[in-house]
Amino acid sequence: MPKLDRPAVADATVSTDPHELPDQRAILAERRTSRFARVEPKGKRVYTARERAEMLVDPGSFVEMTPMRSASPGAGSGVVSGWGTTDGHSVVVVSHDAAVASGAIGAVMAEAIQKAQRFAIDKGYPIVYINDSGGARIHDGIFALHGCGGIFALNIEAQSRIPQISLILGPCAGAAAYSPALTDWTIMVKEQGQMFLTGPDIVKAATGEDASAEDIGGSQLHTKVSGVAHLEVDSEEEAFHATRLLLSFLPTHKGGAQKRHDPVPANPHSVEALPTLVPEKSSIVFDMNKLLDGVLDNGARLELMPEHAPSILTLFARIDGHAVGVLANQPNARGGILDSKASVKAARFVEFCGRFDLPVLTFVDVPGFLPGTVEEGRGVITHGAKLLKAYVDTKSPKLTVVVRKSYGGAYIAMGSASLGAHANWAWANSEIAVMGPGGAVALLHRRALKEAEEPTVLRDELAAVYREEVARPYLAAEAGIVDDVILPEETRDRMIAALRMLTHGQGS
Amino acid sequence: MHLARAEIVSNVWKIEVREGDQVGPGDVLAVLESMKMEIPLVASVHGHVGKILVELGQIVQEGDPVIEIDETAGA
Repeated sequence: MPKLDRPAVADATVSTDPHELPDQRAILAERRTSRFARVEPKGKRVYTARERAEMLVDPGSFVEMTPMRSASPGAGSGVVSGWGTTDGHSVVVVSHDAAVASGAIGAVMAEAIQKAQRFAIDKGYPIVYINDSGGARIHDGIFALHGCGGIFALNIEAQSRIPQISLILGPCAGAAAYSPALTDWTIMVKEQGQMFLTGPDIVKAATGEDASAEDIGGSQLHTKVSGVAHLEVDSEEEAFHATRLLLSFLPTHKGGAQKRHDPVPANPHSVEALPTLVPEKSSIVFDMNKLLDGVLDNGARLELMPEHAPSILTLFARIDGHAVGVLANQPNARGGILDSKASVKAARFVEFCGRFDLPVLTFVDVPGFLPGTVEEGRGVITHGAKLLKAYVDTKSPKLTVVVRKSYGGAYIAMGSASLGAHANWAWANSEIAVMGPGGAVALLHRRALKEAEEPTVLRDELAAVYREEVARPYLAAEAGIVDDVILPEETRDRMIAALRMLTHGQGS
Repeated sequence: MHLARAEIVSNVWKIEVREGDQVGPGDVLAVLESMKMEIPLVASVHGHVGKILVELGQIVQEGDPVIEIDETAGA
């Protein structure tokens, strides 16, 4: 429950005498620190709003925009906003001050946040929101709501212009939960950050449900079940580190230069293992991460939504030094299927890459969309369609490789040639078909199988013939639907050559 | 008591353990078949296999308990 009745600290008024400036700064700093000492619940919170902003950016680079802005004398605005650099690149930071009315967003605080948002959008810098706020400040009434709405509108305007990252470092209710939902990536600190429409007390009053803040808005709920947040970390320090890593893969704004690093070869052990990594039998699972190790640069990566819809992997990585978005089916989790949640996760990721001109590398080993009453009830058709749209809308380089099998609608959805992939390959042993051999022969040879004395023997024979004659990738290659049939160990070089060509030898 | 649950709608294809077997994280308890994939159900805790709650060929829904594990204290 946001604590809104804390009296403002009005122990000094801001002087306009220039000779008193150092004193005024000291008073401001002291006021913030002493206020912070009374923040409830303290929990794992260690750092003030200003300290958080300073820790996020390069040491000494943080500049606060309007440090003396205040809702009333001595009260503070409730937010620290400013700019700094991460790895030398400019970034705008907004950090809620939980020590001022639980970080609740009043009219003045909203104005300060909007000023920072406007600056980031107009100048083309990514913005990081450090959220720790009880939501709209009730005392400010309709002015608070209007201010929150203005923040949302700028969140939405920013989507087509700059990357937006939200950190959840405390209980965030209402407006403080909605703004993150309008940003690109949300990182939560375990057992410290929560996001909910409204807190446990109001939930109890509204519906009678007894639920803790963790139950209705904890990081496990949102990074595993709901998909509202995309990464769970153990501490504020880790949240800042993850944010800096995430920014290292992204341009500062749409149309901005891609951040190229020096190329690093793939891990040599993984490269050696690559030709025999994928089990020949298409029903046996394996870890797709090991395959990626044999293709991508052996350097920093960031997987987003690792626990939500784990049958598909979404991560930022590098190949030949290019920052890329990687989408890959993960056979090790739920057989690598696509379902409603996996489709939403994948579509969101591809759409983001397209928006910021990041190349999309797709690694396919998919048994299909999961059918059945549960998935149809979840709207798998609508969600799957979003994945198709995301690929078609994405104009950045799209490279797709089928590493084992790709069937039916899922074949189309996983970055196929028909959706505009710039290059498509299939590994020599892979299968591409409308459905798997078992299912296909059951339909195609229904009568023969019904009349056969030993239907399972006949089915296996027919399936083997189907696998060789219909599902092999050479048919697709002859038809021009895949560009080429390649060996696993050729994948990295093919992708690098295609990326160099598609990006005119630069960043993309 | 820990319950190993099905991660996807599937049929129980193989059961690889018996009641009383000692298991640890990563050990395969059963193999579920769905979408023509052999999906291993692995233990996530140390313990002894308790009741096996399904039969071969039975259809399980996502989240259904498949095998009980009596967790070993302190392991």
